Amino acid sequence: MIALPLVALLVGFFIVYPFSPAIAPGWTDYLAIAVVAGFDALVGALRSRLEHRFDEAVFISGFFANMLVAALLAYFGDRIGVDLYLAVVVALGIRIFTNIGRVRALLVTARWEARRRNAPAASN
Amino acid sequence: MGAAWKSEKRWVLSLTLVCLVLGGLLAVQVRTRELRGETQIGRQRSALVGMLTTSQAQLGKQTEEIERLRTRVAEYETEAASETGLLRLMTEELSNSRVALGLLAVKGPGVELELADSTMRGTDEFGAQELYVLHDFDLVQIANELRAAGAEAISLNGQRLIAGSAITCSARLIKVDDVAISSPFVFLAIGEKDNLMSALNIRDGVLDRLRVMEFQVKLTPKDDVIIPPVAIAPKYVYAQPVPREEQP
Repeated sequence: MIALPLVALLVGFFIVYPFSPAIAPGWTDYLAIAVVAGFDALVGALRSRLEHRFDEAVFISGFFANMLVAALLAYFGDRIGVDLYLAVVVALGIRIFTNIGRVRALLVTARWEARRRNAPAASN
Repeated sequence: MGAAWKSEKRWVLSLTLVCLVLGGLLAVQVRTRELRGETQIGRQRSALVGMLTTSQAQLGKQTEEIERLRTRVAEYETEAASETGLLRLMTEELSNSRVALGLLAVKGPGVELELADSTMRGTDEFGAQELYVLHDFDLVQIANELRAAGAEAISLNGQRLIAGSAITCSARLIKVDDVAISSPFVFLAIGEKDNLMSALNIRDGVLDRLRVMEFQVKLTPKDDVIIPPVAIAPKYVYAQPVPREEQP
């Protein structure tokens, strides 16, 4: 079941790739940052799921809104000559990093607790 | 149990949807970068074709030039048989004009200036690398400085700079009279050595500016500089001499 999103990622990639769509070179930066924002939303979803506060409406709306806002911010920065692009990349990068760390910590604790709970049962 | 199962299912489904979109976007991004790489190769190729065409055209011109000069020598030789005195005068006059036009190789004391791009590196994102490479305008400024200091003959990477010479930049290539040259750039100049040295080394001058940016600059005085003749003789198509009485 959990493999489904990973398969979907690959399927999405290979559905679009053969059509060889290319956007204007000037827009690649914005698309790149949107992809990073999308990845951030994904990692955030994993974390909130493990913390039992996942809400798919929040997730899906956040996914699209974050991508849009990140790209818009980068675009706006370019227009006024400030590298807001970097600010967005740094902010998202840090958040992805901490969220992945948190996910790992949650998974490890969950496993440890499960083992402790099972241990007396196994010895009996 | 049923509710938990349902929430699990919805979680995975929303994740799947988002991953599908993300995968598509990734594909667009990757594809665009790949295509951009391809067009760069295409651009390089067309630049190479351009260079080939230019050199072929030049070869043709030079062959013509050689033919023209041979005919002229033959004409003068026939004249020499009849009027020896006039020939001597004419040869002298011709030789002077040829030096002035850059049609003859010349030698004498002068300087050699070797230039290469900076050892500093900019980051590509900001295009700052542009600051650390030599541009056509740097070379123009140096040539101008040499002329101002009284250089009698100048060459840049083996190309003689004459009155009508132009240093230009097109398609990221620096050209001297349509001949592409590249780093390291070597200027040779004949003239009063000390004058040339101090003109180039002047405070806040062009070399000072380049040295600050860690460009590789090597300026040496020389006792015997040999400067080649111009590759293609200038032709005067539009400019016609004005008789003395009509001169302003």
